[in-house]
Amino acid sequence: MSAKVKFFAYFRELFAAKEKVVALQAGTMVRDVLAGLCDSAARRSEIFDGDRLKPHIVVMINGAGIQSFQGLETPLKDGDVLSVFPLMGGG
Amino acid sequence: MSAAPYGFHGRILAIDLSRGDVRTKPLDASLVADYLGGRGLATRLFYDAVDPQCDPLGPDNGFVIATSPLLGTNAPTACRGHMVFKSPLTDVIGTSNSGGTWASAFKSTGYDAIIVKGRASGPVFIDITPERTEVFPADKLWGLDVHQTTDALSAESEPGLRPRVLCIGPAGENLVRIAAVVNDKNRPYGRCGPGAVWGSKKLKAIRVRGKAKIQVQDKERYQSGYDQALYLMKQAPVTKRLFRELGTSGLVELINVINMLPHRNFLDSFHDEEDLEKVSGETLAKTLLERAGGCFLCPIGCQRHTRVESKTGDYEKGEGPEYETVVMMGALCSVYDLPAITRANYRCNELGMDTMSFGGTTACAMELFESGYIRPEDAGGLDLRFGSADALEILARLTAYRQGLGDKLAEGSFRLAGYFKHAELSMSVKKLEIPGYDPRASFTQALGYMTSPSGACHLRGGYAVSLAFFGGTKEIPRFSLLQSPIAIRNMQNTGILQDSLGICRFTGFAFSTDPWARMVSGITGMDFSVAKLEEIANRIATLERMFNDEAGLRMEDDALPERFSRVPIVVAGAEKVVSRDAQERMRADYYKVRGWDETGRPSEAARKILHIKGRNS
Repeated sequence: MSAKVKFFAYFRELFAAKEKVVALQAGTMVRDVLAGLCDSAARRSEIFDGDRLKPHIVVMINGAGIQSFQGLETPLKDGDVLSVFPLMGGG
Repeated sequence: MSAAPYGFHGRILAIDLSRGDVRTKPLDASLVADYLGGRGLATRLFYDAVDPQCDPLGPDNGFVIATSPLLGTNAPTACRGHMVFKSPLTDVIGTSNSGGTWASAFKSTGYDAIIVKGRASGPVFIDITPERTEVFPADKLWGLDVHQTTDALSAESEPGLRPRVLCIGPAGENLVRIAAVVNDKNRPYGRCGPGAVWGSKKLKAIRVRGKAKIQVQDKERYQSGYDQALYLMKQAPVTKRLFRELGTSGLVELINVINMLPHRNFLDSFHDEEDLEKVSGETLAKTLLERAGGCFLCPIGCQRHTRVESKTGDYEKGEGPEYETVVMMGALCSVYDLPAITRANYRCNELGMDTMSFGGTTACAMELFESGYIRPEDAGGLDLRFGSADALEILARLTAYRQGLGDKLAEGSFRLAGYFKHAELSMSVKKLEIPGYDPRASFTQALGYMTSPSGACHLRGGYAVSLAFFGGTKEIPRFSLLQSPIAIRNMQNTGILQDSLGICRFTGFAFSTDPWARMVSGITGMDFSVAKLEEIANRIATLERMFNDEAGLRMEDDALPERFSRVPIVVAGAEKVVSRDAQERMRADYYKVRGWDETGRPSEAARKILHIKGRNS
């Protein structure tokens, strides 16, 4: 089982990738995947504020915000696509 | 009549071009208390000055540009002017906002707002200084593009005092209904066709220069709001670095993540990710960007100063493209050629034309062409299939000069599609082209387009996109019929206040109204609490609706084109439309939230609650 994590904006630089494939165990949650990816203080401090997401950080599963599910505690399924980016707008 | 408040000069310039008459009128403090400045002040002055039934291209139409109490201070991004007019594209209120330097320079002439009516007998430009205002012949300027006109009028009258120029290009002169009015060469008042209004008045430009200052009443109160605003802008990644690094088109790939990025005149929302990357903000930054830039007093810096290879192999420089331009001329037309989009953007800036409506109208023409309704002979041999990148630059010229098929595109997508007997292929609301966020991906955004006073506009209709990023929660709706009316009213009100404060939308990604309330209260010495500002926003929204109602707008005009209720797109794995029933339910609730009657008319009671006085001619 695996999920794909896509990075956007300066997160591509931060994680040195446009996307990464991560292995999933039964019950792996969004928090586990993100914590695994944040393997340095610099990465962790950009994503997490304690055990919560920093304000302005958006995490989506298959195009829907994780708030629609169970937030960081949402379990992931095989083939899920996670998108991680700083909140942005424009026009 | 009370004296003008702090933060203003207390003077309005009123010009009748038919009579060559220039007058100065006092700015009543009660107008500021009720309508603040910018969009609110311009709307009130416009409502009092212009008959809603007038011909938008006739001498009875007028336009008002108003500034806010913040212009003239160092408040971040406080440089924006707001223009209100009757739109020749939509036949309802036209309301358009721009940054750059012109509005601040205009306020430095010692005026707070300008009202222009009538029609000159020949081309003219208006020259405004603190000492005098004059109307000069502009025969030698007529026919020049925006850049040439700006250069011709920009010679320094004294060291360090460069005049600032707001002008139209050939599109405005030729009464193109999607023509813009442009300052700083590349900063347009873009939407709703203000350039055609200027062209109909034979007004080529307004040049301003001066050093008049405003007074701040309570500097400490102002400073506390200022400090907080600046601190919060440094905390939020979007205002701290994202816009500077990627520009607004950094959003292209993100909007695709939420399946909101339209394709092929809104026939679908599917894009190949490799194609999208070719037009992304990252690619723009790596290939075309020379430097980021900002409007006057802006620490955000979203402007893209770019360099692109021309068709002849030379390089040319200009500004853009921004998100909306990339989507409307690009994705919506199935064009993923960033240099081609950039060149067409340059042409629109020079010719004085709205890149958004031009892109939307081009996408409509492409669908008409692929459907066989525009025949190859109608197109003069141009390949107008979706994906025809080379057509963009050519069509921009043809449209601005009303040549060949361009004469029909110059009318906007609604009239273009109607001419070819398929009005249903115009993706517009109130004849204004729908921006680059598909309304089927957010009911809140859909309702915003439906109820925007100026037609489908993400800025006047409410910007629900950041809600979509966090969307689907109990707190913030994306597909909630019940919550969308209140959510979009709130977003619209935020926009009204930003437009009335003369500040940039993008500050709203870092902080909300409170720091502005303190700043504007400190400047004026009037008590603008957040609640008071909310009341002002409601008053302005209802006044805009009153104008539209008197101009003949009906409830049926607050609706999306049929495509959006019939043809689904896939959002997060599910097919989505905005059904007629859903539209009608949200619309009815929105009217209630606004205090309008069941047909969308502002009731007498609502006018009384909001203390909206009758027309003051």
